[in-house]
Amino acid sequence: MKIQDLKTINERYEMFTSCSDATETGCEFVFSAKDNLTSYDFETCAGSRILEGYRPPFDATAISKMREAGGFLAGKTNMDEFGFGTFSANSGFGIPKNPYDLNRSCGGSSGGSACAAAVLEDHVSLGVSTGGSIVCPASFCGVYGIAPTYGRVSRYGLIDYGNSLDKVGVLSAKAEDLAKYLPIISGKDQRDPTSCVQPDFPKEFSKIKSVAVVNEAIEGISKDVKQNFDESVEKIRSMGIDVEFVSMPVLKYAMPAYYILATSEASTNLARYCGMRYGQQDGDLTLKFDDYFTSFRSQYFGDEAKRRILLGTFTRMVGYADRYYNKALRVRQSIISEYKKVFADHDAVMTPTMPFISPRFDEIQAMSSLDIYKADFLTIPPNITGMPHMSVPSGYSDGMPIGLMFTSDHWNEDYLLSMAMEWEKSFDMIKPEVKV
Amino acid sequence: MDRDIVEKAARIAHLDLTEEELERYEKDLTEILDYFQMLDEIPGEDAIGFNPLIVADVLREDEPRTDIKPDLLLKDMKTYDDYVRGPELS
Repeated sequence: MKIQDLKTINERYEMFTSCSDATETGCEFVFSAKDNLTSYDFETCAGSRILEGYRPPFDATAISKMREAGGFLAGKTNMDEFGFGTFSANSGFGIPKNPYDLNRSCGGSSGGSACAAAVLEDHVSLGVSTGGSIVCPASFCGVYGIAPTYGRVSRYGLIDYGNSLDKVGVLSAKAEDLAKYLPIISGKDQRDPTSCVQPDFPKEFSKIKSVAVVNEAIEGISKDVKQNFDESVEKIRSMGIDVEFVSMPVLKYAMPAYYILATSEASTNLARYCGMRYGQQDGDLTLKFDDYFTSFRSQYFGDEAKRRILLGTFTRMVGYADRYYNKALRVRQSIISEYKKVFADHDAVMTPTMPFISPRFDEIQAMSSLDIYKADFLTIPPNITGMPHMSVPSGYSDGMPIGLMFTSDHWNEDYLLSMAMEWEKSFDMIKPEVKV
Repeated sequence: MDRDIVEKAARIAHLDLTEEELERYEKDLTEILDYFQMLDEIPGEDAIGFNPLIVADVLREDEPRTDIKPDLLLKDMKTYDDYVRGPELS
């Protein structure tokens, strides 16, 4: 695809915040990357106006590894500001549109990446997940998306949301791309110590022989998603895989624990944005020190960023930290223990990815902040535990894609990748009609 | 979460909120924290880990080296004599 075509397509879908002006020549493949991954040749803003104008002097490790493998970085993809959202509607640079219905969301926060993977031919996109930001948009846009084990891919060059939660992963319309590119971006990197405990990526992938379906995960989902999930369970059985229904009652605590940890970490990470060094720096230097910082942050942070900064600041405050932040850390350990018990008998956990198909933008506007946080209740458990998880397209309702999510134990991405390729053989993908 | 707490958190976080924002965030955060009360039901485990996995310390030899050239780091920063510009401390 020529770069000019890319720009024309982008006018319709708004999946890129910036696209290349160069024409790709001699590259092995074309890829894009979420705009919270730094790249020396593009402005990098992580969806925030406060970073407008920031041109990083270095590549994120994941991007440099894709380039070393012969990849051409065609553009940076649109996202919720710093990853704060479920629908990519919290970007400071427009809202990416769902390729199946322009009045609906791509999902978030890697919405632009999922849209690019769905719309562009032979395209792979790097996404980032903190609480579900790869599998949610993969589900809404009908593509494959994998978020690996926490630490599998170096976070060097990733603009932090939550340090203990952020994971770089891959989205594509082809399952084989996940198996091809995730090993490429994985590996130890001394610039990110959290990447240095990982075992090598296996050369041969193990196959899932037994899955656990979580009873609590199929309560409170829409009728069409439930029907599709029931059909998926039968399909999994027909593939010769054992299915057992299990109860994991502790999962209901994952959402509040996650939002406390994520916003606590985010509120400290975002302290660095103060009108000096990065992005916006056009303030009045005669202001007092604190007033100068406050003026920038108040002017350029978006609505959801402010809400999460307030929540995360509060949950760490003296007098409240034990009840919220410290408690959330203990609850995370309980959830990890619960998963480990299930993985003693099963290779993977299977649930729907999202509780509903992609909503229309007018429906999103009518949702409260709490309603939106609750929509993540299926994607948060694997994310808070740092476990690898993947969404595969599993069907359609009223022409909109539905996703099926698999979670495996730490470092067992190979089970997910073999499942994706097996699933793809018998799944009839309906590609969106791309109008230019 | 009452108005005083929202104002205090905003002050700590260096956010200057309008009256409309204060009202809205007070309402939103109260609703969110009411929901989070469910965490009082579960003790959680005694162990506290700041990461979901054990993280190794990786230390290199303590030798000076240049990672990214200073002029590249400074190229888009507002500087004066290669110092980053900021407001006065007084």
